[in-house]
Amino acid sequence: MLQVQNIEKYYGSKNNVTQALDRVSFDVEDGEFLAIMGASGSGKTTLLNCISTIDTISAGKILLDGVSVADLSETELARFRRERLGFVFQDFNLLDTLTIEENIGLPLSLNHRDPGTVQNRVRDIAQKLGITDILPKFPYQVSGGQKQRAACARAMVAGQTLLLADEPTGALDSKASKNLLEIMTVMNRDMGATILMVTHDAYSASYAKRVLFLKDGRVFNELLRGDRGRPVFYHEILDVLAALGGDVSDVI
Amino acid sequence: MSVTLSKLSLRNAQRQARDYLVYFVTIVMAAALLYSFNGLVFSQEVQFLSDEMKVLPLVIILASIVVVCVFGWLVNYATGFMLSRHSRELGNYILIGLTNRQVVRLFFLENLSAGGAALVAGLALGGLLYQILRAILFAMFGLPYHFSLTFSVPAAGLTLFYFTLIYLHALRKSRKRIRRMKIYDLIYYEKQNESIMIQKGKSRRRMFTVSILLGVAGTVLLMTGELMTGIIGAGCLIAALFGFFLSFASGVPAFFDKRPAFKYQGQNLLIFRTLAAKLSTMGIVMAIISMIFTATIMTEGGGLVINGIFRGRFTENASFDLYFAIEEEDRDPGPYLDYISEHIPVEQSVLYQVYLTGSPALRNYIGSRTVYPYYNYDQDPVLRWSDYAALRSIAGYPAAEPEPGRYLIHCMAYLEEPLRNYDQPVSLGNITLSPGSIYTEHLSQSYGVTNGYGYILVVPDEAVEGLAVHHLAYAAKTVQPVPAAQYDALQEPPVDYAFVSTKANENAQVAIQTALFVFPLFYLALALTMTAATILTIQQLSETERYRRQFQLLKKLGMDRREMARALRNQFAIYYTMPAVPPLLIGVPFILNLASLTEPGIMVGMNSPLVIVAISLGIFFLIYAIYILLAYTGLKRNVLPQSTEFR
Repeated sequence: MLQVQNIEKYYGSKNNVTQALDRVSFDVEDGEFLAIMGASGSGKTTLLNCISTIDTISAGKILLDGVSVADLSETELARFRRERLGFVFQDFNLLDTLTIEENIGLPLSLNHRDPGTVQNRVRDIAQKLGITDILPKFPYQVSGGQKQRAACARAMVAGQTLLLADEPTGALDSKASKNLLEIMTVMNRDMGATILMVTHDAYSASYAKRVLFLKDGRVFNELLRGDRGRPVFYHEILDVLAALGGDVSDVI
Repeated sequence: MSVTLSKLSLRNAQRQARDYLVYFVTIVMAAALLYSFNGLVFSQEVQFLSDEMKVLPLVIILASIVVVCVFGWLVNYATGFMLSRHSRELGNYILIGLTNRQVVRLFFLENLSAGGAALVAGLALGGLLYQILRAILFAMFGLPYHFSLTFSVPAAGLTLFYFTLIYLHALRKSRKRIRRMKIYDLIYYEKQNESIMIQKGKSRRRMFTVSILLGVAGTVLLMTGELMTGIIGAGCLIAALFGFFLSFASGVPAFFDKRPAFKYQGQNLLIFRTLAAKLSTMGIVMAIISMIFTATIMTEGGGLVINGIFRGRFTENASFDLYFAIEEEDRDPGPYLDYISEHIPVEQSVLYQVYLTGSPALRNYIGSRTVYPYYNYDQDPVLRWSDYAALRSIAGYPAAEPEPGRYLIHCMAYLEEPLRNYDQPVSLGNITLSPGSIYTEHLSQSYGVTNGYGYILVVPDEAVEGLAVHHLAYAAKTVQPVPAAQYDALQEPPVDYAFVSTKANENAQVAIQTALFVFPLFYLALALTMTAATILTIQQLSETERYRRQFQLLKKLGMDRREMARALRNQFAIYYTMPAVPPLLIGVPFILNLASLTEPGIMVGMNSPLVIVAISLGIFFLIYAIYILLAYTGLKRNVLPQSTEFR
C-alpha cells in the first residue's frame, strides 16, 4: 500500500542545515499496523508529516498504491488527504465549536458526500467505537479518551484507507490509553484499517504488528511481532530501546 | 526594578500597538476628532462668522461629552479585553515575584504609553482635520479659505483632559480587577469567558418571535414623530436587538439539529457553527454594536435630512439677492426703497403686486390630487405678465414666451405633474383665459408673503384690472451680496413692517444651521461607527489563533486552499453582516419617514429622501468597509499564509 523509498528531509538555511531524515525506506502492507518509535528529535513526526503530505521531502519517493505523492498538484493533494488519509493527533485536534457528531461528520462534508446520509454514517461508526452517547456533546464536555475515540471515528468515517496516528496516547492516562489502543486494534483487525502510528511509548507500540525504530533520522532497527504475545513483544521493544541507548528513561 | 518595569511597559505598549493596530488607529482617530472639534470650540474666527455661531462651542462640548462616553466605552472594553488576553502573562509576572501592585503599574503604564502615543499622533492628524472643518465652514459661509497649520494649546489641553478621563476610568476598573485576582485567576482568566449561554428551545423561540415583533413595533412607533411614542419605540428597538442576538445564537444549533442534511451541505456546518459560537459568547456585545450602528445610520440620516431641509428651503426661497414684501395695504414701501437706493447698489429691480383671482379653484384642484399644506391663500394668487418677466430676468432665468389668451402657471417642481392635467379656464373680470405652459424654476414660493404658495398664475397685464391685492413685493438683483449689517438695518424699526429676505442671509442661515446641527451629528456618527467597528474587529482578530488551528486541521483533513479561503470569507461576511442588518431595517424607514415630515417640494434633487438614504448608508459602509478590509487582510495573512505549510 505504502512505499517509502530513500527519503531525505533537510531543514534550515544554507549555512545551517539540519538533516531530519536520512535515506529512510520501508513498505507498509495493506491492513498492517505499524509503529514507528524513536526518542524526541529522532525524526518520527517529520516522517509522518511527509507521508501525510503536510510536509515535503527533500529527496526520495513516497508511493501510495503506486502513485508518487510528490507528483500531485495542490488540489490533488487535498483530495488525496480527504479521501485516503485519516489522522489521529496527540492533542485530539477536534474543532471546539462543533459537536462530536459534527466533528466526525466533517470529512464527509468536505468530501461533498450526500448530506442526507452523513448522520447515519456517523452514527454507524460511532456505535462501532462505543461513543454513541457522546455524539451530541461538545469536545469540552467529554474526556480525553472519548475525544481520541471521536478522532479515530473521524479518521475512518469517509472510508480512508490509511490511518496516521501521531502519539495518539500522549495526552491520555493509562486506562484511556489501553482502551484506545484496543479500539485501534479492532479498527485494524475487524474494520480493515491500515495504521501507521508514531509513538515513543513502548506499551503503545506493543499493540502494533511491526515496529520500526528511528534514531537520528535513520531506521535503526525493525521488530516483527509474529505470533508472540503482546507482553513478550513489549519486552523485546524495551530491549531494543535499551540498545538504542540513553533514551530508556524517555520511553517508559 | 522600576526601570525594568517601565521598559517592560514600553515594550508591551509597542506590542499592543502592533497586535491591536486597528484599535490603536481608532484611538489616534479619536484623538484627532476630539482635537479638531475642540479647535472649533476655541477658534475666534469661527465664532466671528456670525452671532449665532457663538453657540457653537456649547453645542460641540455637549456633543463631545457623548463622544467621550462612546470612546470611553471602547477603551474600557478594549482594556478589559486585553487584560483577559494577557492575563496569563500578568499571572506569570506575579509568579516570578512581582506584587499585584507592580503588575497594576505595569498594565497601567503600558496602556498609558499606548494612549499617550495615540494622543500625540492624533493631535498631529487632528491639526489637518481641523483645517478640513475650517475649509468646509468657510466655504459654507462663502468666505475665502487660506490653509494655515496652527496648533491650538487650549484645544490640545481639552483633548488631553478628555483622554485622561477616558483612560483613568478604564484603568481604574482594570486595577480593581487585577488587585483582587490571585495567580490562578490570572493564569486561567481566559477560561472564565468560555461559559456558553444555552437556552431551552421553547423560551428561545418565544424570545426570537417577540424580538422581531418588538423590532417592527419599535420602528413604527419611532416614525410617528411624537416624542413619547418615539421614546417607547426606541425602548422596543433596544429590547428587540438584545432579544434577537441572544435568541439567534442558540437558535442556530437547534435549526441544524432538525435539518441534518442541510447541516452537512457544503460549508454550512463550519460557517454557522463558528458564527453561533461567536454569538453565544458575544450576543450582548453584538446587540450593543447593532444598536450603535442603528444610532449611527439614524444620526447620519437625521443630519442629512436637516441639512436637506435647510438647503431645500434656501434653494426654493433665495431666488433673489434682495426681496421684501408688505402685506398691509396702508403701509408705504417708501422707507425701504429709500434705504435701498441710498445703501445698496442694485443692478435690476421690480416693485410689483400679487393679486387674487377671487376663486380657490386651482388650490382645491391641487389639494385633491397631492399633498398641499399651504392654505394661507383663500384664493388663487396671480402675477402680471410684465412683473413675471422682470422676476425671471432678476432671478437669472431665460425669458418665457408670452402666450396671448392663455394663463401660465409657475409652480414648485413637485406640483407640475398634477397641474399638467388641469384644463379649466380662468375668468378674470370679462377676460377668460385658457391653460398655457407650466414653469417650475425656483421663484420664492414657499414663504408667507412670496410669489404664491407653491404655485402662482401669470396672466396678461390687462387681466389684473380690478383684482384684489394680496401683497406688495420688491425683488432686486444687487451688484454685491447684501451684507448682514444692511439686512439687519432693513429689519430694524421704524422700518419693520415688511418681510425681508436676502440671498446672503439665507445662505448664512443654512451655514449656521449646518454647523450647529449637522457637524455635531456627524461628529457623533463617526465616533459611533469607529467604536463599534473596532470592537467587532478586535473580537475577530483575537480569534486568529483559533482560526489558524481550525484551518490547519481542515488542511490536514483535505480541504484545499481555495475552499478554505472561501470558508473564511463567508464566515467573515456573515459575522460583519449580522450586526448591520437590523440597523438597515430600522434606519432606512426612519430616514425616509423623517424626510417626508417636512413641507413637500423641498426635499428634491440631491436632498431627496432616497439620495439621503444612499449617502447615509454610503458613509456608514465606507467606514465599516475600511475596518472589515483591515480585519480580513490581517486575519487571512495569519490564518492562511502563503507559505509551504499552507501551499
